[in-house]
Amino acid sequence: MIDRFVVTYLRRELRGRLQQALLIALGLGCGAGLVLTVTAASTGVSDAQSSVLHSLYGIGADLTVTKPTPAATQDPASNATGDLQQNTLQSDGLALFPSNWISSLASLTHVASAAGGLELSEFTQSGGIPQAIPTEGVDVTHPELGSLASATFSSGHNFSATGRSSDVAILDANYAAANKLFVGSTITLAGTTFHVIGLVNQTQASGATDIYVPLGRAQTLGQSPAGQNLIGQVNVIYVAASASSYTPAVQSEISRLLPTATITSASDLASQISGSLASAANLTNDLGRWVAVAALLAAFAVAGLLTTAAVNRRVREIGTLKALGWPTNRIIIQIMSESAATGILGGFIGIAIGFAGSALVSALAPKLTAIIPQQNGAGGTTTVAVCLTTHLSSTAVIAAILLAITGALIAGAAGAWRATKLQPADAFAQIQ
Amino acid sequence: MYALSGVTKTYRKGHHAVTALDNLHLTIAAGEWLAIQGRTGSGKTTLLQLLGALDHPSSGVINFDGRDLARLPEADLTDVRANFIGFVFQAFNLIPTLSAVENVEAALIPQRLSSAQRRGRATDALANVGLAERADHLPSEMSGGQQQRVGIARALVKEPKVLLADEPAGNLDIDTRDEIMSLLETLWRDRGLTLVVITHDTSIARRAERVATMRDGRLGIDSGATIEDADGN
Repeated sequence: MIDRFVVTYLRRELRGRLQQALLIALGLGCGAGLVLTVTAASTGVSDAQSSVLHSLYGIGADLTVTKPTPAATQDPASNATGDLQQNTLQSDGLALFPSNWISSLASLTHVASAAGGLELSEFTQSGGIPQAIPTEGVDVTHPELGSLASATFSSGHNFSATGRSSDVAILDANYAAANKLFVGSTITLAGTTFHVIGLVNQTQASGATDIYVPLGRAQTLGQSPAGQNLIGQVNVIYVAASASSYTPAVQSEISRLLPTATITSASDLASQISGSLASAANLTNDLGRWVAVAALLAAFAVAGLLTTAAVNRRVREIGTLKALGWPTNRIIIQIMSESAATGILGGFIGIAIGFAGSALVSALAPKLTAIIPQQNGAGGTTTVAVCLTTHLSSTAVIAAILLAITGALIAGAAGAWRATKLQPADAFAQIQ
Repeated sequence: MYALSGVTKTYRKGHHAVTALDNLHLTIAAGEWLAIQGRTGSGKTTLLQLLGALDHPSSGVINFDGRDLARLPEADLTDVRANFIGFVFQAFNLIPTLSAVENVEAALIPQRLSSAQRRGRATDALANVGLAERADHLPSEMSGGQQQRVGIARALVKEPKVLLADEPAGNLDIDTRDEIMSLLETLWRDRGLTLVVITHDTSIARRAERVATMRDGRLGIDSGATIEDADGN
């Protein structure tokens, strides 16, 4: 049970020296608040990066396997004589490889699953103007892999696992709205009618596929630029490792198995992403972190100086307590208790500053852009706009309180050390 | 109560050594009232600090009730101060953020009493000095005389054997000075305390049973018409 006198003395001292206590608490709070703000900004940037990466390859895919486009590639929209082909579903950009590669990759050590896909274009004409509508064949038995995995359904539902040969399609919600399509509508791909079963919202970074169909139908209806059918062919394989720590090992295994393939991991892609999002990530991770650490150290140092100065001003009081027979450790407990109370106050101030700073960053941060190189080997980039949304976790909030208390206790230790050096006689010598 | 033998205290000030007490001999009987006079810098405050176990001498023996204060470790000196010695200071030295009764209670913290016991004894001590109605007042809300009464209550609440007073009336007007000295005299007589008062005021010194004079670190005992040193010379 805490002695009433201890609480009374503590409360009176803090109230009696309220200005100084508030100053110390404010300093500690600013340091902790800055750390919180930088943490929130860094988390927001990380989340933005993750959303870009996830929408590119879908949640669950650690690696993507493709093949470089052959050097000489016919215009995919033309036939062998160079005539424009209408209503055809053709592969373009990425080279084709046998879909039995999928089972080879799935059987590798530390691979949880693998699925194939076909990135195609539906070539058609609208008002006499040729159009290429991005279309993708997805493996309906692995909904957790592929670019459809990161999309959210605004209406309808996903493909069923048994519907690999069904003439059903899922549309991008924006594409559907522009063409006045909805669940239950029908579209024509390569002369075949497909029923729309779902509409999805996708981020800009997902590659802007407008139409998704089961892989089996895409293989049946599609053709290569040279006019060959695509049965048993894919042009992208998604691989999920059994644990993210195995990704590098799996990547090495696939490289050995498929030396001509291009294997891209999430970190590879992250390193390729440029634009203001990448700059913001560097800023928060490097400069922001060091600024926060420097501010925190400065807050600790100022708190220590102020606490030591306060002890110096209390020489007479501390000397009197020693003359009354107070043991040194009792005096240390008194000083440390005052510091801890100041630290707790500083922690709450830090939380308030952290939330305010986080909200300010969210409100004032410019829209960031991620420039993503296209993965079809044809060069070019996609620019994606990303909103920065900061947030603070409960862990970060608790850490802020602990940081402020730690700083206050360090300051209190400095003051307590000064108090232990005081001799009762020395204290009186200063006041006589 | 006290037997000082060959006590010397030297302070280092940079490259210089200052001798505050020079081979001092002094005996103070239990229940005696001794006044120590002297000019500023004569060493009287240093002597009081050694008697109060606030410092160690550079050499010599300070026998206090059978224990040599000069050889005791700091923890034991703290124990002596907590239980056997009370201090009254010229500047009162009250803790400004605590009330009168809480300042008196502070002297009982080392004795590990319950909160209720401490408060009871502190209240009684204040009543003994005539300040029961000021128990909840802060030092800033009291006059100098009242603050010194609180200081006296704080010194006596632990029922010490010795009361050491350093210029107890130094910051007070004449009327209040007499009031405080009369209070000290009453308490000394009623409780059988050993009382040592440092003062530069001859009228206060004359109230004591014995008067000593400090000069350049040496002590002389005033026995009426002549001043002799502690060895009777």
